[in-house]
Amino acid sequence: MARVEFDNITKVFEDTSGPIIAVEELSLDIPDGEFVVFVGPSGCGKSTTLRMLAGLESITDGELRLNGEPVNNVSPRDRDIAMVFQSYALYPHKTVRGNMGYGLSLSTDLNDEEVDRRVVEAAEMMGIEDLLDKKPGSLSGGQQQRVATGRAIVREPAVFLFDEPLSNLDAQLRKHMRTELSRIHSELGITTIYVTHDQEEAMTMADRIVILNDGQLQQVGSPKEVYYRPANTFVADFIGSPSMNFFDVDLEVASDGTGTLVGNGFTYSVSDSLVDLVGGEGEYILSVRPENLNVDPSAPDERSFEATVDVVEVIGSDNFIYLDVAGKECRLRAPSEVEPEEGDVITVSFDEADLHLFDRNTEEALIHGHERAESSPKMIESEA
Amino acid sequence: MINETRRSRYLLYAALGVFALFALTPYFWVVRTSLLTNFAAINPETGYLPALDALTLTAYTDIWNQFDFVTFFQNSVIVSVSATLISLVFSIPGAYAFARLDFPGRKLLFYTAVFTIMFPWIVITIPVYEVFYVFGLINTLPGIIIALSIFVLPQTIWLLQGFFRQGIPENIEEAALIDGHTEIGAFLRIVLPLSAPAVGAAALFSFLTAWNNFLWVFVLTSDEDVRTATVAIHFILGSDVLREWNILMAAVVLLVAPPVVFYGLSQRYVGEGLGGA
Repeated sequence: MARVEFDNITKVFEDTSGPIIAVEELSLDIPDGEFVVFVGPSGCGKSTTLRMLAGLESITDGELRLNGEPVNNVSPRDRDIAMVFQSYALYPHKTVRGNMGYGLSLSTDLNDEEVDRRVVEAAEMMGIEDLLDKKPGSLSGGQQQRVATGRAIVREPAVFLFDEPLSNLDAQLRKHMRTELSRIHSELGITTIYVTHDQEEAMTMADRIVILNDGQLQQVGSPKEVYYRPANTFVADFIGSPSMNFFDVDLEVASDGTGTLVGNGFTYSVSDSLVDLVGGEGEYILSVRPENLNVDPSAPDERSFEATVDVVEVIGSDNFIYLDVAGKECRLRAPSEVEPEEGDVITVSFDEADLHLFDRNTEEALIHGHERAESSPKMIESEA
Repeated sequence: MINETRRSRYLLYAALGVFALFALTPYFWVVRTSLLTNFAAINPETGYLPALDALTLTAYTDIWNQFDFVTFFQNSVIVSVSATLISLVFSIPGAYAFARLDFPGRKLLFYTAVFTIMFPWIVITIPVYEVFYVFGLINTLPGIIIALSIFVLPQTIWLLQGFFRQGIPENIEEAALIDGHTEIGAFLRIVLPLSAPAVGAAALFSFLTAWNNFLWVFVLTSDEDVRTATVAIHFILGSDVLREWNILMAAVVLLVAPPVVFYGLSQRYVGEGLGGA
């Protein structure tokens, strides 16, 4: 059990072409028992952060604390952590039993029977008790994944680290393992840090999601928070599938206080209270999630726009409709009965409560929907 | 369709047969000649396949009586095995460092080591002789062992570093570090056992190179008691006015036997080691 604190952690790699900043001034406090998912595109620094926590990568600047103790210079074996690698990293010359018990017999003074008892217990938990005497080479990817996870849980460490553990599995198995890892976390209650590039994995598993880009922390929050209140356009774009729609708009304010968002190919009237919240005329980025857009022929002109249907993807439960709005792609998620033909011109509307406005220069969030905008959006500073 | 496949298969086997004949005939001739008497070996009437009663082991017994082959072989075994062991002791950690660690001058050192594989050694025989002379290593087995160890070291380093770089995933070492090993512990307990095939292959190549080495032994020795079998054969070949072909071929068979045995023992690993798996 452990609390993990990143205090202004920076990691710089020296390369022949000059220094590369992999992680920049990351500050984060992870309380004991939390399931935190680091998510971001490749090269964003999420794996580097995890490897620094594991002790496999040195820390250029800042302090890393486990249970309040600085561990910057503590070797991996003295950190009381267990890690599951993307490649599983099982020892090919040892049996499953040997793989799972190895760390335990190295790092503790438990006798062989006790080690074996714990190995069998963990194997039962992972449903791999009949594989114990096999070598990793004869196991399927899913089984190897279970062994790797089993090897981590048998240690009962202070912190679990997962480095994209499910990316080598097929979609169905991935979903199954996702639930299983969540179950293990709730059973053991061990602080877990999980790295993935898959936002869906992050949304379904995390207590809190940490979104990184270019080595910088973008936002930390619960899945709902980052979904409904993205701190900037990067988070808004990264979280949610299909991703959010963005339009460059100018806000024009009429004499009665109401406003109009004017974009390329559409105008959209907004209430005076929203104008007040956003602070008057200016250049903004308007975003709406695909699921908040509706096909509504009866929508009033000032609250809708017309778009040409480009592609309709049938998912089963829903249809993803790709639209062309004055040359810009716009994604709409509609119920399965709404199935326009390609080339049709349809009327699209959305509720003012569902729009997000971002500053066009800083790309940071200003408003998250009219109704949810009473408290200011959670920005990076308030969490970090 | 089937006929065509069959025909191409026959053609393949025929081509393989011709190639095998071409490759194996010299070996056959060596063994055949070594089993004949001195006269039969040069008698045109003996035929390609001599009659069974013409075969004899006299060449082998003669060689034992005429030359001090026990000493030559003993020397060969001592220097080859020693050079193999010494080169492995240095090349395993060296190759691992080249493959995994980042230290200043790593590339320069590595390319220097690899360059020596391609180096025409014969041009440095005189300075090397001088150096060995100063250290009193001329005409000594330790001198030959040192020379051969240095000679085989670059190729062993090159072979092993490729394996360490590609054959052992870094994550496995990292898992060992997290499991509770120190870096040295992870290397000795996890990396090295997994590298057995590559180490076996490297050992085989070191042994063969050292066993077959002629130049350094020839340059650094003049006394018969420190001569290796490879060089001894040169003297058998060059010394007799009336050349005894059967004895010469028997010596060749004896010279080739140990490497073949050594290869047989380690071949299970060698393929794997070279494949980098």
